Amino acid sequence: MKLVTRITSLILGMLYMTFCDSAESLKINGFVAQGMVQSKDSNFVTDDGDVSVKLTEIGVNSAYRFNSSLRMAGQAVYLEGGNRYPDGFRIDYLFLEWQLLQTANWLIKTQIGRNKNYHWLYSSTRDVPHTRPSIVLPQSLYFDVFRDVAIGVDGIVLLAQTDNKWGEWDFNFSYGNSQISEEQKENLIGTSASGKLTHDTDTQISVYWRPSLSKFQYGFSLLDADFSYKQGDNDTLFSGEETSQRIMFNFLYQGQNWEVASEVMRERVIVENLLFPSFQSDLTAEGGYLQARYFLSSQLTLLARLDIYDRDRRDRDGSNIQTLSQGLVPSYFGLMDQATVGMTWKFAKNIQIQAEYHKVKGTARLAPIFTPNTILNDSKYWDMWAVQLMYWF
Amino acid sequence: MNQTRLHLFLALLICSGCLLFVAFSVGSQVPEVKVVVNPSVDSKDLSVEQIRRIFSMRQTTWSNDQTITVYVLANQHQTHQVFSTKVLGMFPYQLDRIWNKLVYSGLGEEPIKLQSEEEMLERVSQEPGAIGYVMQPINLDKINVIKVLEK
Repeated sequence: MKLVTRITSLILGMLYMTFCDSAESLKINGFVAQGMVQSKDSNFVTDDGDVSVKLTEIGVNSAYRFNSSLRMAGQAVYLEGGNRYPDGFRIDYLFLEWQLLQTANWLIKTQIGRNKNYHWLYSSTRDVPHTRPSIVLPQSLYFDVFRDVAIGVDGIVLLAQTDNKWGEWDFNFSYGNSQISEEQKENLIGTSASGKLTHDTDTQISVYWRPSLSKFQYGFSLLDADFSYKQGDNDTLFSGEETSQRIMFNFLYQGQNWEVASEVMRERVIVENLLFPSFQSDLTAEGGYLQARYFLSSQLTLLARLDIYDRDRRDRDGSNIQTLSQGLVPSYFGLMDQATVGMTWKFAKNIQIQAEYHKVKGTARLAPIFTPNTILNDSKYWDMWAVQLMYWF
Repeated sequence: MNQTRLHLFLALLICSGCLLFVAFSVGSQVPEVKVVVNPSVDSKDLSVEQIRRIFSMRQTTWSNDQTITVYVLANQHQTHQVFSTKVLGMFPYQLDRIWNKLVYSGLGEEPIKLQSEEEMLERVSQEPGAIGYVMQPINLDKINVIKVLEK
């Protein structure tokens, strides 16, 4: 499947370049960002907790319009994020878009190829530094260990937009899967797993509503994702399945000086076998964040955010984890709450610097998730800071 | 004493009158933002919602299937700020967010950014299906001014 994806990407790329002879229909944009980050007393960014420059994000995108209803768009990125996600180049998105309907009040289009996740507030541009409220997004929902799986799907997307007397509406649907690299697999289930982890299917829908000429936006989304694991040689894990079902609500207020955003979710995670034959786990996690941004001026923005996450809503303090592991895994692996303050200074056209500080309680969103690293993550409380300079065009 | 109070009252009246005159004078001197289109565009009037759809890039073609080319001025330009807040009812940063999402997630294209109103008038007059906005007087024949229908 991976080979097929690569060949498809290559063919689409060649086709794309063939049509890149008309400057009028061709758009090119991109971004470059480099920063410094330190996550002390946890392995969130590095194992040793030292100051790191593993905060690099570079991307170039382009779009070509064949005619009023057919266009192609693609973006390649280079990312370095330490333990947060695998380093290196990747095709972020590359798809053909076909506009099915355009009337005075309706726009319906479909995208085929590698698509972005359009369902959450920041999911479609989570790697584009200047579009984010902070360098590190709230981990309850924008779980970096799961980044490559949540970033989008190879498959099909259907998008519909309409306006009526109640306001503007967006309906989004996506179906497909994503490729899981070896490094991503290790982040998810640990280095001792020698088998193959597959993201079988991923189905998401979302609806957004902006009341007519108002400063508010409301949205909700549903996710159903299925994974399977095939045991490898000398494997400590067993063949098994995992299912994630998520429901999310979000809210956004955009005033003259204030912006307030919130997303909350409930996620049911079902695991069968995997850890040992006939192993069964059915947990429901809950999490969400409330974020406020204050625009001191058109250049300077301040940010404050509180993010909470409980791995099991019936065991919010994680005591069951400690009991079931006979004390090997501390209870704070069952939660992760994060308070963040930050600022953004746009000091020149298309250039800005972002800085932030996070105080964190708990380690539930640290890699790997199935086999917790209790040696590197031996503190209930840890903190992190990051500074990043970014340019875009 | 009464004489003094009368003088004070008269002075206050005169000052208020002057302030009102200045306020109305200033008000009448603030030029309105005009939404302009290329003469190839059939529409003579547009609702605020339609204009918002067009500048949010949610509507990309006119009713006759002609492609809409959207021109905007730089964020810092006073005309852009007035157009954004007074006509669209949005803050410039909201438009920026929408356009960034389109460009960096592949969903769509952002408007073409221009530096001056002169350039805006020139480009809109030359590009079939084009739309833009200006505050300055229009001396070109090849430009149509759209009537904005309030709610």
